[in-house]
Amino acid sequence: MSATSISRWSDLRGHGFLFQQLVQRELRQKYQGSVLGLVWYLINPLLLLGSYYLLFGLLLKPVSHEAYPLFVMTAMVVWLLVAQTLPAAGESLLAQAPLLRKSRFPRELVPTAVVSVQALTFLALLAIVTVVTVPIRGTLDPALLLLPVVAALVIALVQGMALALSVLHAHFRDVLPIISAILVPWFFITPIFYEPNDLALTAPDAPGWVVAALEWGNPVAPFVEATRSILYYGAVPAWDLWLYMVVAVVVALGVGRTVFRRLERDLAVML
Amino acid sequence: MSGAYVQDGVAPGTVVLERATRSFRVQVDTGRTLKETLLRRGARRAPAPAPTAEALRAGAPVGDHVFALRDVDLRIEPGETVALVGRNGAGKSSTLRVLAGIIPLDTGAVRVGGSVAALLDLAAGFSRDFSGRENIVMGGALYGLSREQVDERLDRIIEFSELGEFVDLPLKAYSSGMLVRLAFAIVAFLDVDVLLIDEVLAVGDGAFQRKCEARIAEQVESGATLVLVSHDLALIERTCRRTVLLEGGRVSTDGPTDEVLSAYRHRLEDATAPVRASTAPTPTADAPGGEA
Repeated sequence: MSATSISRWSDLRGHGFLFQQLVQRELRQKYQGSVLGLVWYLINPLLLLGSYYLLFGLLLKPVSHEAYPLFVMTAMVVWLLVAQTLPAAGESLLAQAPLLRKSRFPRELVPTAVVSVQALTFLALLAIVTVVTVPIRGTLDPALLLLPVVAALVIALVQGMALALSVLHAHFRDVLPIISAILVPWFFITPIFYEPNDLALTAPDAPGWVVAALEWGNPVAPFVEATRSILYYGAVPAWDLWLYMVVAVVVALGVGRTVFRRLERDLAVML
Repeated sequence: MSGAYVQDGVAPGTVVLERATRSFRVQVDTGRTLKETLLRRGARRAPAPAPTAEALRAGAPVGDHVFALRDVDLRIEPGETVALVGRNGAGKSSTLRVLAGIIPLDTGAVRVGGSVAALLDLAAGFSRDFSGRENIVMGGALYGLSREQVDERLDRIIEFSELGEFVDLPLKAYSSGMLVRLAFAIVAFLDVDVLLIDEVLAVGDGAFQRKCEARIAEQVESGATLVLVSHDLALIERTCRRTVLLEGGRVSTDGPTDEVLSAYRHRLEDATAPVRASTAPTPTADAPGGEA
């Protein structure tokens, strides 16, 4: 077992240039021939952020939080990474099938390249939101130093999910439609427009398990809350959030890699 | 159940198959959905009739499996030029894919020394939206070259491919002849230890074909191993010293090219299955270019 994992590492090392090419291709392929090209990677999420700002920040205002648009944006950034990466990673192996049929290289490079590109967008957006939020909220605290750690954990979580979904979709073509269907309700139960504490005000009769399920049953929720805690409140996230995030990342990466290893064998034959 | 693919276990240029077996599930539609899989699980209880020895030899499906390679032992030394011949479905292309590490074995082992490059089918690995130049770079990267190594070869590859100004146009604009030239040029200049080539040579025009053969000869002279799959017996006689005849996923004859090919020609004449004979080469296919 150790021998194979060593050869895997040397495999990955020998394919640095291939990975770079895959990332470049992923960056360019999507908007090939478009006038704005790469800028689309930022325009899409920025438009989304803007419309949510309009709808929930100015028009609806479900629960009152100070500087509500920022309250929403600090959480939305994390959600956008999840919502943009999972479908893109899901179809990645199919999209690169010609490469898989041509040569022997570590297959996980393909979904990983997709995640890398989305992660770059995420970091750019996170930087924009930080630059806007910190001065307005006056949260220039040492807690901000933890933001890169949370960002890394979020990306690792998404990487784990992306590995599993990409190879699962190559085998069962229902996976992508299922993801698309789940993303919509998932978006609404993720604490983006509210935080779990708000439920005590808006729905004081809600049973405790519903609140707990909203907070802990959704693997993305703690990541959203931790990011908001740092950016919006300028506070170090609570210890239980940290614990949850670390466990979630370990589980996601572990399951993702295991599923990938088990199902990657015949990719060249079946795609 | 999974066979091993070992690189660098043997001297560069050596290719070894040890009791290599690979079968494929007979499945017309690869686009499985979850529902089909779940339903099939319940329905797959009917026992398959036991295959006869005759059917096994002919490479007939066993249950819902078809064997592409069956217990194949093969050893190719560095610098050898080997042709794989056989009827359609004999396992030639599967063997190449197994050697390239693209298809894993069910059982047995592949050992390949040094670097391998495979020219399997023409369009494989090409993106039609990208230029020839970009596809060359990606091609090099796919075979594990670094940026420097690709840059170093870029000019020679472009020159050899005779693409001229087309090299900066997207592949959409290419003729099929241009695609062949591009595909071959990339593989021919990777300077690998083992070169695996499937059919494609026959597609180019006569002049380019001779150029390819010359380039292959150059590579072989500098120590590379060549494994060629072709129905063009004349091409095999020109390029390969040794020929391996595959039948039903097994090695049937293995030896010097002239001996094996004359045996193969006899077998084709005696072939009792005229349905397939039309797609197999005829003994008269000695003219340069052969069957395309």
